[in-house]
Amino acid sequence: MALRWRLLLVTLTAALLIGFGALARARVEPVSVLMPAPFADASADLVQEFNSSHQGIQLTVTRGPLETEAVSDLAISSLLLENSPYDLLLMDVTWTPKYAAAGWLEPLESWLGTDAMEDLAAGAELGNAFSGHLWRFPLVADMGLLYWRTDLMEAPPRTPAELVAISRRLQRESRVTWGYVWQGKQYEGLSCVYLEVLRGFGGSWLMDDQPQLDSPAALAATGWLQDLVRQGVTPAAVANMGEPEALQLFQAGDAAFMRNWPYAWAELNKPESPLRGKVAFTTMVSDVGNPHAATQGSWGFSLLAGSKHKAAAVEVLRYLTSAEAQKQLNLRWGYTPTRLSVFEDPELLAANPALGDLQQALAASVLRPLSPVYAQLSDLLYRELNTVITGDRADQTAMQQVQSNSERLLRTSGGQG
Amino acid sequence: MRWRLWLLMAPALALLLAVFAAPLLHYLWLSTQAQTVLTGLRPQPIGAQQWLRLWNDGRFWQDTWQTLRFSAASVSLEMLLGLVVALLLNQPLRGRALLRTISLLPWALPTTVMALGWRWIFNDPYGPINRLLAWLGLGAIPFLSNPAITWMAAVGADTWKTTPFVALLLLAGLQTIPADLYEAAALEGATPWQALQRITLPLLTPYVLIALLFRLAQALGVFDLIQVLTGGGPAGSTESLALYAYLNAMRFLDFGYSATLLLGSFAILLLLCSTAALAWRWSSRLQGELR
Repeated sequence: MALRWRLLLVTLTAALLIGFGALARARVEPVSVLMPAPFADASADLVQEFNSSHQGIQLTVTRGPLETEAVSDLAISSLLLENSPYDLLLMDVTWTPKYAAAGWLEPLESWLGTDAMEDLAAGAELGNAFSGHLWRFPLVADMGLLYWRTDLMEAPPRTPAELVAISRRLQRESRVTWGYVWQGKQYEGLSCVYLEVLRGFGGSWLMDDQPQLDSPAALAATGWLQDLVRQGVTPAAVANMGEPEALQLFQAGDAAFMRNWPYAWAELNKPESPLRGKVAFTTMVSDVGNPHAATQGSWGFSLLAGSKHKAAAVEVLRYLTSAEAQKQLNLRWGYTPTRLSVFEDPELLAANPALGDLQQALAASVLRPLSPVYAQLSDLLYRELNTVITGDRADQTAMQQVQSNSERLLRTSGGQG
Repeated sequence: MRWRLWLLMAPALALLLAVFAAPLLHYLWLSTQAQTVLTGLRPQPIGAQQWLRLWNDGRFWQDTWQTLRFSAASVSLEMLLGLVVALLLNQPLRGRALLRTISLLPWALPTTVMALGWRWIFNDPYGPINRLLAWLGLGAIPFLSNPAITWMAAVGADTWKTTPFVALLLLAGLQTIPADLYEAAALEGATPWQALQRITLPLLTPYVLIALLFRLAQALGVFDLIQVLTGGGPAGSTESLALYAYLNAMRFLDFGYSATLLLGSFAILLLLCSTAALAWRWSSRLQGELR
């Protein structure tokens, strides 16, 4: 009899404990974040640390696709169903106005406070606000860089003419097959490349919401890119080159210069890389008197308007973009920080001497147009530029076409450029 | 008695209506609306403006031409090669089962995977074909960076993948042809070529038509192969109608125009199929009269 009573007592206690446990777990707020695969991998440690130090929040990261636009497709598909499983989204800089205009994002200024942006390095603050609200907080900075071979030249070219001259000399001396490789495929990367050259010739994409793509500077930029291919400084295959293809050709030692993002720096300096220690980077060449521009391509977190756990999600956002987290992401994975205090961290500077140069490039960064119809604007531009590179159309005709199409697009979209 | 027939058919009809007619009607309605990122994704009626835009959109007509060109080239190649493969696999060879299995492999691969593979094969200058050419001292072929060549590269990749599908359908057809027909023909002194022309091809016609229908429908809606292999480039030369509609919906968030594009290509497809059916009936009637 006594045994039976004792058994009952044990069972009851166990049931109560399990019940309380379940209650306690019910008070845990789930926060779900969608990130492109590389970021999900890099932040795995941080997520674990967050979960063990925050009992009230259960953070899970969905490992999205590798490719930028595929991540957007996934996010948009879920948002269109109006019941997105995600609370936070790691967003590319060009998506912000589109997502904000679609009503998918929650303004962040009231959540983060007015001093949230104070610690950001110059250039990193760009592209997070649109039409008077803060929609995104940057996690990782990204900008276009000109990589050059330290074993082939003393100093990098600073003007377009110098770049061509050095390339042709090296090609004549048979020290490289090609001079300069970049992203010329019909996709977003070509718009990034073009914007840097355009700024270098003193032009701009939009000015006061008006496209400036048939200006003399725009034609000079297009003509320069076209001539690179015509003169054989750049291979004709550039018309199908994205970042990996350009890196492949440069890393094989077949080119003297490459335009690419900071991730290439880590790739080029891996132990098995044939170019380890033979590469340096700087900002893009520009005509005398014009700025050396770097297209900004940062990634940052946005809070989704449909999230049911906003306070917890903001907690996660603060943690993942904190100076400590950015420091870890740089030390272990080589991601460029966005916070000034991280750029100036002595420990990081010792471990990663290129950090100062990256900070300078970030300060030189320029934004692609902040517009809800940016995807169309860019599609018009890179499509025509690609026809110029393949030699299918004269540069002037093509740029006039882009100009009139962009004007029409911005007119029909009610000047919300 | 007739109402009972309809009653019995009702579940199937309802399903068809829900699966085919409802989305089509929804799209028809959507094509009269502006539903874009600029309207906050709320539909606003704009009458026939999307259709006017479609009519004046050079890119739509260019993509229509490119989609037709791709479909015509890849489907006719596939039918031809598929017939040859089917005839070969129908021969009593040793290890025929193994051969049949192997020949099906390309079709079993997911399109994305095989497109990535072809992107590597076509790589300039590091792909295997261009390496071989360089080793032979020849120049590289700009498979994916020359508008005049890239669409053919896409046709090549598609043909490689879907020829086995056509071969499989035609092989099934070949096995329904009774062997005694060939024996009788041989006794009459017919050559193998005559047997092919007079027995095999006429009896295979229904299967050819089925394969043609499947393949045309697939090819005219080609999306994944193009998206992975070229992204529509270079110079827009490989962009298909499906890719353009996808860009409008998912990238530009312009759902009204995307719906119009899809309906526009649907109309072209209908026009094409009805013309083909009419031509088919006309030519068979003409043949009947000649006999």
